[in-house]
Parts: sequence; structure tokens; C-alpha cells
Amino acid sequence: MKVKMVKKILEANDRIAAGNRALLANHKVEAVNLMSAPGAGKTTLLEKTIRALDGRVRIGVIEGDIQGTHDAEVISGLDVPVVQINTGGACHLDANMISDMLQEMPLDELDLLVIENVGNLVCPAEFDVGESAKIMLLSITEGDDKPLKYPLMFQKSEVLILNKIDLAPYLDVDMEKIRSDAKKLNPDLKIFDLSARNGQGMEDWCRWLEDKVKSR
Amino acid sequence: MHELSIARNILELVDATCHEQGYSGVETVRVNVGKASGIMTDALVFAFNCAKDETLSVNATLEIHEIPVGGRCRECNSDFISQETIVLNCPRCGGAAFEITTGHELEIFELEVDG
Ligand SMILES: [Zn+2]
Repeated sequence: MKVKMVKKILEANDRIAAGNRALLANHKVEAVNLMSAPGAGKTTLLEKTIRALDGRVRIGVIEGDIQGTHDAEVISGLDVPVVQINTGGACHLDANMISDMLQEMPLDELDLLVIENVGNLVCPAEFDVGESAKIMLLSITEGDDKPLKYPLMFQKSEVLILNKIDLAPYLDVDMEKIRSDAKKLNPDLKIFDLSARNGQGMEDWCRWLEDKVKSR
Repeated sequence: MHELSIARNILELVDATCHEQGYSGVETVRVNVGKASGIMTDALVFAFNCAKDETLSVNATLEIHEIPVGGRCRECNSDFISQETIVLNCPRCGGAAFEITTGHELEIFELEVDG
């Protein structure tokens, strides 16, 4: 016997994500979902961002990793609330994992929650976790073919950060191609060029983040 | 491999529907998967078959209907369907002012069940 049904497969995830979003809004916490490939420099960017916004924005961090605690240790050295999720093999964070972690977070003492997703350019874009913006970090060392190879993440992100621009003179990478392909996929995409290592361009990014928090 | 999470979601939704409506087992699960949804269909079938033990879908086949990417162009006022996974320009006029209307589907639309 045939039974017709129409069920969005990610319905359960999306329902929990909506709950997370409401909880964060009640506590007036802005949440960003930081996504990138492994090695793009998410943890360094986050570390420098937290230092730059010290005293201006109260930041908490949910650190997602397939395994290990190295990144969480780096961040907790900065004296901000941090909780770690080990996905045990899963390539992304989902709304349910975040929902559990929000119980551990002192939400009333925060302005901004940064969710550092698992390093992967495909899967994290698929799962809403209740964030108010997805931020994609791409290291220019990854090459200029990434937007067309992994379109979904570029389409779903509000901001694209091109990291490691201090290495541009040593690489055979066409940054304008990255920008124009990314803009074709997502005309509203906001792009920041920066080097988390030497601090170049960090100010613009931090100002954007601070403005986002203030306008919540 | 987010296909495994997707497969588990499918199996849970199917079990919930069967419990609600009193079906004892499932023969076929039919899903729509848009070509722009970022899902590898082979991997999804593989994951479904790995994860289906101890569910009402244990003997079920997953049937995937791929939905092509389609859009509506505001420059030439046409609807189009593409065979590509991403569309950067309207295939009719080459314009960039278009909306994607299909290709992001990820939904169960039909089950074949035992009474
Ligand atoms: Zn057109």
C-alpha cells in the first residue's frame, strides 16, 4: 500500500534549531556559526578576535571537533567560557548537540556566542544550529576553485573571510576569481580579506562583528 | 559523511509515521533529493542500508528521485531547468538576476507499507 507523506528530512533538526534561536534571542545573545575546511585558521582567527574585542563584546565559545581538545584548550587560555563538543566522527554539528551545550553556557553573561564548527566544507552548511549568521573562513592557500566546488557553503554564508592574505605573494592563487565566483553564488555575501597571523584586516572584521552584536 | 545523519533522520521519520498510523513494516521509502542539496545519492543509499537494522525499514529499499536545479529569470522572464548542480547564469539569456526555485529538496514523499 502506498502512503503519501511530505516530510522535510531535516525537520527534527530545524525544529530544535528554532528552539536554540529563541533561547539565544531571549538572552539577547547573537550567535555565529564559524565554518571552514581543516587548517584554514579558524582557531587562530577566533583567538585574535577574542583578544581584539576584549572589554567590548562578551564572547562565549562552543568548540566542535571530531575528537581531541586542543582547540578548546587554546581558547580557554583566554579566560572566556568555552565548552567542547566531540562529535565522535560526525563531520558537522547539529542543532541537538548545540541545544545540550547551551545549558552549559552562562547566556546571561554573554553578548556573542561563537560556534566553531567541525572543519569541513560540505556538511556543516547543511545543518541549521540556531545561529543568526553563518561565517565561512577560506584560506587562500586552499586555491581559487573552492567556490565552484563547494557552492552550498558560499550560498548559505552571510560573510566570507579570506584568510592568510599575507601569503598571497608566494601563491599562485587568483583572489579576484574567488571573490567573483563567490559573489555569483551569493550576491549579498560580505567579504573580508585578512591575515589572522599578522593582524592585517582584522579591524574591519571585528568592527562588523561588534556592529552585528550591537544591532541585535 | 553527513549522508549518515540524513539517513538516520529518514529512518526516524518513517518509524514515527508508521507508529502513528499503525503500519507494521516498510517496503520502499521514496525521497526527493535536489541536485543542489549537497547530498551524494550513492552515499545516502549506502548509509540507509547500514543504519536500517532495528527499524521498521529493516527490509526497505530507499528510492531516490533526483530533482534538477530549476529557476526563474527576472531578466528574460523565463523558467528554466538545468542539468548542472550549480547555476551561475540564466541558461536562456545569460543574465544573473534569477531565483533558484528547485534543486534544494530533501524530503520523504511516499512510503510503500505493509498494513
Ligand atoms: Zn534569462
